[in-house]
Amino acid sequence: MSDIKLSYAQLLETNNLIQQNADETYWLCAMRTVQESKIFPVSAYILFSYLNCFYRYPTLLRKIEASMSAEEIGDRARHSGIKIVAWTIPCFYLLGREMLINWGVIKPTDAVLDVAYVLDFWKRFQLSWHRNDGNITNRQADHRGQIFPEQKLQVFHADAFECRVGDPLHTAAQAFMATIAQYGFLVSCESRLTIHNHGPYKIGEKREMLVRDFRELAEYDYPWLDGVGQDIPYNNLTVAMILEDCHITLLDDWGSFDSEPEMKAEHMVAVGLYSADNLSEGHIPVGMASKDELTRTFEDLTARIREASNKLWTEMAGWTRDQQLDAGALVYFGVGKEFAHIAGVYDKDDWLLIDERAERFRPLLNDEYGNLFLGELVGYISCPSQRMDEYTMMMHTGLPRRGLSYFPYSMLVDGEYTAAVGGMHPGVTNLPAKNDRYRTSRGVLTQAEYNRLSREFVPKACQEPYRFLCRDWVKYHYDTPLADELFGFEQSHSRLLQGKGAGLSRADVEALRGKE
Amino acid sequence: MSRLYVDTDKYGYQSEFPIVEAYNAAVKDLVRRSLAESGLAWNDFVFGAEYAVITKDAMTAIESQLLDNGYRFEPSAMSSSRERPEAYKDSGLYAENFSFEHPQAPAAPADDAGRTLQGAGDNVVTHKRNLVGIARYVRTIDKVLECLTQGVPADTIMIVDDSGGTLTAPVLEKFAGVLCAGGTTRSHLAILTREYNIPCLMNVRLAGIKDGDRIEIEFSARAKIAEDYETGRDVSARVWRLPAA
Repeated sequence: MSDIKLSYAQLLETNNLIQQNADETYWLCAMRTVQESKIFPVSAYILFSYLNCFYRYPTLLRKIEASMSAEEIGDRARHSGIKIVAWTIPCFYLLGREMLINWGVIKPTDAVLDVAYVLDFWKRFQLSWHRNDGNITNRQADHRGQIFPEQKLQVFHADAFECRVGDPLHTAAQAFMATIAQYGFLVSCESRLTIHNHGPYKIGEKREMLVRDFRELAEYDYPWLDGVGQDIPYNNLTVAMILEDCHITLLDDWGSFDSEPEMKAEHMVAVGLYSADNLSEGHIPVGMASKDELTRTFEDLTARIREASNKLWTEMAGWTRDQQLDAGALVYFGVGKEFAHIAGVYDKDDWLLIDERAERFRPLLNDEYGNLFLGELVGYISCPSQRMDEYTMMMHTGLPRRGLSYFPYSMLVDGEYTAAVGGMHPGVTNLPAKNDRYRTSRGVLTQAEYNRLSREFVPKACQEPYRFLCRDWVKYHYDTPLADELFGFEQSHSRLLQGKGAGLSRADVEALRGKE
Repeated sequence: MSRLYVDTDKYGYQSEFPIVEAYNAAVKDLVRRSLAESGLAWNDFVFGAEYAVITKDAMTAIESQLLDNGYRFEPSAMSSSRERPEAYKDSGLYAENFSFEHPQAPAAPADDAGRTLQGAGDNVVTHKRNLVGIARYVRTIDKVLECLTQGVPADTIMIVDDSGGTLTAPVLEKFAGVLCAGGTTRSHLAILTREYNIPCLMNVRLAGIKDGDRIEIEFSARAKIAEDYETGRDVSARVWRLPAA
């Protein structure tokens, strides 16, 4: 675990991380999209979640790191995928801080070791998650997320089945992605946190691959999926989608993308389906033995998800506002629970309760105040704490504003600061109790069983000596038995690449596809 | 009375919106009073003694002050006004014979084909041809349930003002097209219509279209892309009302 001490260098770095997140927050929130719903009080629950993050993340991230470091969690996430954490973890937390500063409840000099720690944890996780492209965020990579190593991409590339508009596989895959995206918005209470995309990855002269993750689909952490998600056999599904004549021009830290030309159904020319979690040896093919099997698998999953969607919508439409507020806030706050599962220290009372320190502000969070305060915080950047001297020109707007408050360096001289928010406080929820059932790649487990297996299991690619065999090592050692072993872990589930070793080029993979 | 750290601010004065300023000022006032009454130094107050005085009851009292002065909140979620009609303005969602009447909806007299221009919006995806269908407002959970139980005729075009992906989730794919009065071509509803290959206009400015009207939508128009938003370029697609068939 990182040992945070308040030095000048530490404050400089923390303020830089704050500024990076401030700049991207404005761009994402003001330039990309806004969320709204007649079912959910979206802005109100977002603000509620920010407060919960501020009061709970420092303790919970330290608890996680007592079991596994942020950078090792990044390794595991790179191996089996993760929800959107790039922007969410630091910004939810920092926006909670900003709310409290504007209420006068805290000062910018409060909880400073917590703030520095949360950002340091995030930085180390992100550097590990982005190990293959050397950036800290998609933003730093000019809005691109090239996360996976060659050995995994070769398998996705090789095993993807060709399809064209109108053929059964294409039709089934399109219907599946529409249905699962819609289900994802419902599961996540109108947010997009169930859906994560990364890439693009270059597949050929005119082809790119987009990796689309749909996570937390079955009975798992959310009490509202108990029963509703019972017939969904995979908690996470990954679609490897190959596009032709469609360039992904931008893939942001929310996992949303733009393309040129605008992506349409006809651009998808090949597709594959996988499932992975922190207990699996990477991505396991789902229905990938043949094109027909994959078609039937998509159709079966679509029917199951459509059924679950209708049940879930009916349930959610009958929720009280407090239940909607809790559920939405816990979805946002809960992006960090992915880390707890990977580290094997997940506790539903950590992640499914509104901390009493956040709960006290519930009466303020009516729809109008929620919409306008959130708008000021992330869109207008007009809260008093965000206004700066008139010489300032904020990134993207040129206005004298700054989205998130820095640490004042004066702390180094006057020592006027507080270190931390303190440990966990009790929490509350208006939602039903969660059943002790968690759908994983090892079946449906109890929380205790899941934690135990998470602590015991280390995927082969994350064990010594393979963990540090990076793409730069492969470049100069591809012809060694050790490189073949490394590639073999991914190839062991592959239809076309089993036992092919580390020496294949992209053209070799394409040639193998042509022979199928 | 204590002064708060944020009470001395060279550049920040108050929030942009009056309700935000009213609430935030009330919370700051509570903190000032509570700190003064505690007699504690800030570092002993924050994350400690404050929890006994900055409470949920105190927040309820702040909200009551505003409501007692006659203020009523703008609702966005249906549950808010359903549960607390005394605290929220009438949402208007259940008005009979409703139609959007956007002040900036373009209008033009009937053309040679008898089409009258009634609105415009941002096209999510360019389709090969325009779509003709029957307008149907779907603005509430009850309307969605009605569509679920009674079905949706094949050529129905949904008119909605919620750009999210949850309200219309169980019925979206039953519609031939969508007109959404809010959002952008990146909103969740836009994403879903793209995935379902359902023609859709977002940010529609409509006037004078009623339930049951026969309408034509210019889905063959250029889609609005990121660059158009960034440069402020208008690439609107049009909506016409047609003579009854």
